[in-house]
Amino acid sequence: MLELKAVDAGYGATTILHSVSLNVQAGESVTIIGGNGAGKTTTLRTIIGLLRPTAGTIHFEGQDISRLSAHEVVELGITLVPEGRQLFPDMTVRENLYMGAFRRDARSQAEKTLKEVLELFPRVAERLDQQAESLSGGEQQMVAIARGLMARPRLLMFDEPSLGLAPIIVEQVFSVIDSIVKTGVTVLIVEQNVHHTLNAADRGYVLENGEVVLEDAAQALLTNDHVRQAYLGI
Amino acid sequence: MTQDKTDSAQRRGVIALALVLLGILAIPIAMDDQFIYHIFVTICIFAALSTAWNIVGGYAGQLSLGHAIFYGIGAYAAVMLTNLGITPWIGMFVGAFFAVIAAIVVSYPCFRLHGPFFALATIAFLEVFRVLALHFRSFTGGATGMMIPLNVGWEWMVFRDRLPALIIAFGLLLLTLAVAWWIRNRRLGFQLIATRERESAARAAGVGTVRVRLVGVSISAALCAMMGSFHAMYLTFIEPEAVFSLTFSIQIALFALIGGIGTIFGPLLGAVMLVPITEFARGWLGSGALGLHGFVYGVVLVLVVLFMPNGIMGLVQRFFEPDRSASEAEPASVPAEARASEARSFGEDVLQVERLDKHFGGLHVTNNVSFSLKEGEVLALIGPNGAGKTTVFNMISGFLKADSGSVVVRGPDGQFHSPTTPGDYAAIGVGRTFQIVQPFASMTVEENIMVGAFHRHHNVVDAREAARETAHRLGLGRWLHAEARGLTIGGLKRLEVARVMAMEPRILLLDEVMAGINQTDVRRAVDLMLSIRDSGVSIIAIEHVMQAVMSLSDRVIVLNSGEIIAEGTPQEVVRDATVIQAYLGKEFANA
Amino acid sequence: METFLQVVTNGLMLGGLFAIVSVGLTLIFGIVKVINFAHGEYLMIGMYLTFLLATGLDVHPYLTVAAVAPLLFVLGALTQRFLIQPLMHARDEHVQIFATVGLSTALMNLALLVFGADIASTPASGLRTSLHIGPVRILAGQAVIFCVSIALVVGLHYYLQRTQTGRAIRAVAQNRDAAQLMGINVNWIYVLTFGIGAACVGLAASLVAPLYPTQPTSGTYFVLIAFVVVVLGGLGSIGGAFVGAMIIGLIDSLSGFYIGSDLREVAVFGVFLLILILKPSGLFGRRSLAHVSP
Repeated sequence: MLELKAVDAGYGATTILHSVSLNVQAGESVTIIGGNGAGKTTTLRTIIGLLRPTAGTIHFEGQDISRLSAHEVVELGITLVPEGRQLFPDMTVRENLYMGAFRRDARSQAEKTLKEVLELFPRVAERLDQQAESLSGGEQQMVAIARGLMARPRLLMFDEPSLGLAPIIVEQVFSVIDSIVKTGVTVLIVEQNVHHTLNAADRGYVLENGEVVLEDAAQALLTNDHVRQAYLGI
Repeated sequence: MTQDKTDSAQRRGVIALALVLLGILAIPIAMDDQFIYHIFVTICIFAALSTAWNIVGGYAGQLSLGHAIFYGIGAYAAVMLTNLGITPWIGMFVGAFFAVIAAIVVSYPCFRLHGPFFALATIAFLEVFRVLALHFRSFTGGATGMMIPLNVGWEWMVFRDRLPALIIAFGLLLLTLAVAWWIRNRRLGFQLIATRERESAARAAGVGTVRVRLVGVSISAALCAMMGSFHAMYLTFIEPEAVFSLTFSIQIALFALIGGIGTIFGPLLGAVMLVPITEFARGWLGSGALGLHGFVYGVVLVLVVLFMPNGIMGLVQRFFEPDRSASEAEPASVPAEARASEARSFGEDVLQVERLDKHFGGLHVTNNVSFSLKEGEVLALIGPNGAGKTTVFNMISGFLKADSGSVVVRGPDGQFHSPTTPGDYAAIGVGRTFQIVQPFASMTVEENIMVGAFHRHHNVVDAREAARETAHRLGLGRWLHAEARGLTIGGLKRLEVARVMAMEPRILLLDEVMAGINQTDVRRAVDLMLSIRDSGVSIIAIEHVMQAVMSLSDRVIVLNSGEIIAEGTPQEVVRDATVIQAYLGKEFANA
Repeated sequence: METFLQVVTNGLMLGGLFAIVSVGLTLIFGIVKVINFAHGEYLMIGMYLTFLLATGLDVHPYLTVAAVAPLLFVLGALTQRFLIQPLMHARDEHVQIFATVGLSTALMNLALLVFGADIASTPASGLRTSLHIGPVRILAGQAVIFCVSIALVVGLHYYLQRTQTGRAIRAVAQNRDAAQLMGINVNWIYVLTFGIGAACVGLAASLVAPLYPTQPTSGTYFVLIAFVVVVLGGLGSIGGAFVGAMIIGLIDSLSGFYIGSDLREVAVFGVFLLILILKPSGLFGRRSLAHVSP
């Protein structure tokens, strides 16, 4: 469904990703783990079109998306739930969710999608008419995920969904991600929180200094010596 | 990069500068033409004004479009006093004195504003000065302007020849350049730039941001006023529309922009390049093409902004300066070393917090929070997001005033004090980091840490020494000369700690220094914290990373909805039912 | 008493004028986060266009709106696309300020080159007739400006709140990155917003030209006042800008009458500086100016 072939990308003169290749099959949940500065966020930003790859290609459902802008990639059905929530602070939760359905394919079905999404997030349903910025960090993360689902994405990507959240909220976030995976949406997660994310995913890539150093089934990575030592602190 | 390379680049720079200055003096003398003399006097005047402006507009990053105020005050002071029979050599300093007063009165309120709003406010002040100068006719001559009596001689700064005027203008230019160079290489310069880059981080590093800006703008205003005095004598006539002019203010800033804003010698280069072009254009086209020269001006400004935003100096530096990027792999910081957690004994209280209360609107963010910190202790502050942890930090570092309650800190004298501002807290030895890293992005790693080191060391050499030592201790040694903006998040977090450590604090407040770094780095960071603790510093840390909390802290306080819900050793706290329910979750309890 | 009423009425009419000139600036600032120092020159260009069209085609100045507003839209859109957009990611905001300051200088002097320093008077076309309302007199043209300014404020508010594009514009203003992730073409929104802001000035120009003389420096006076209004109204708040404009109109009129007409600017800017210093978020803004920039 998604395939990166030997992608280089970075900011200005600094190249962060070096020849990154990875793929995500339809219906799969895949994770990218790695230390900070490894290039995980850069990978997602490159896929979604916020950054242009300087070399290599990115294909989504057979179409070359390497040179597309973010809004064009989103139109094709990829959605990113960004690091640090990134809600529209002065809009209500409801307006935020409708903004999620901005993309043409989702716009006409917004009402229907909203109903479905709210079933998954009962807490968000209670807060529909509150200003987004008045919510707590955990609630904001839930709204951000719900907003991502409003786009009816074919591929949903999460960037560090646990960042800055209390342990108890992290558990809730991952249980939501689990249930999203179960509904059959294809998912790509980037995380520091290796333990949780490997339990949620089918397959994983380990990124170090902008290069893919390991690729395996998630369960296998959990028992991999290198992963255990470097990321699980065992 | 090597020291040699920097040195030779520096030497080439000095030679180039000397040549430019020599040219300014020698060319007109050699050509001995009235018009050429005029051009070079004008170059000196604009170069000096622009260099002076750059202290505020460049170093401090406050884009003033009202600098004509100070120039105008100098001009009017000199002309008025000359008319009273007092030499402009005195008038110059009288003007400088009043300009400094005006600068402080105008800037103090304006410094609360940034970017375009500061620029707007300075424009508004300039308009007020202009309208007032027009209004008080008896004083200023109003719209008809003022002439100076034509007494020729050095005493009156009026000459038949152009050479003496050039010498005075050149002297003033040298003075201004020397002052600008001196500031940039002293503590004041570092503090001005730090204030520009991140105001709150500068305040946390003990920089009196308002004070340094006022000092900067005062120096800048005094220099502008002196140039104004001389320019008035040179032109022999002044009027409000010409001296308190927005266009004139923009011109001053324009030369700095074209030369390279924030650099020491950029404004000089800008003036050298642009003044001859505009003066020749004025000479050739005359009044036949009204507006053409202004049009060219505007277009040049737009083009420079679009195609060389770092000015001429930006281009020059690309050739001279070595690469400053930071794209190397991360090194290990401090050697990891296992430490058994033993029961430790602590000294007396160094910080006491009593019943802190804080409301934001209807939200009770801190509710009756009391705790104390003992000497040599590591206290962890944990709790869910929005529990009020960072608010507590802001109140015990002077960034936020509590609604009620008190914070006292034991000073080096053994007495308890009640600091109020971030500066007070820094002075008494409380250092803090920020949850969202606040590097001085355009400064190098070394310079970033030096800003902290200046808290203890006034001298640049000592501060540099201290900064290097701290950098090596925190594993930043390899990036001393890299710009902070190039560091990774992990590097920035370490830089944040390094800057505080360079202040040699007695109490260290760490706000989530481990968020967003991986487990291996967390272990390194824990070891670093322990080594800091062992050097006699008391620490309060806000953390979500429980692994770090468990191995680092002697005592843990749990905040929830602004209230302390538990307090005790790490082992006690993680077994506490309330804490598990509110914060840790059941998985942690089962682990 | 009657004098006082007349002075207050004049103030409100002046407020309407300031409002209609400031609305576009507020919109551009609120969304694109750029202070357009060339805003006054847009107005000046609009007034010259009105003058040329009205005298050239011999039509009522109001009818020129049909051409002036779209032309200004294009000018604004081009400014955003080719001047501001390349600078959106600049390291510091100096360059954006200088860019629009440079544009302002260039346009003003271009007008000087083309039209000279002489005044161009658009035919008043009956808009200078006095209307008597109770004890006070107002000019027909002023009344029109006042009403249109209200309609414009209400219309823009409705557009931003209720339409899909309006919501997208607000989303971009609140969180540019997130807006992109929703599938909004952010650069297009900026171009559109800049265009709308400039078109508002075009509308203002066609209404203002019959009442005020047109010359290359016409914009300078209005733009400083417009900045005051925008800050007073709490940056980016369109309703706030309207109220701010009324307040400044009243101060201008009252101080001009009671203190002296040459000191009106001192009063206006004095109030502006007081507001900046005492309540930097503006009278109606929530976010402090001090924190608008990073």
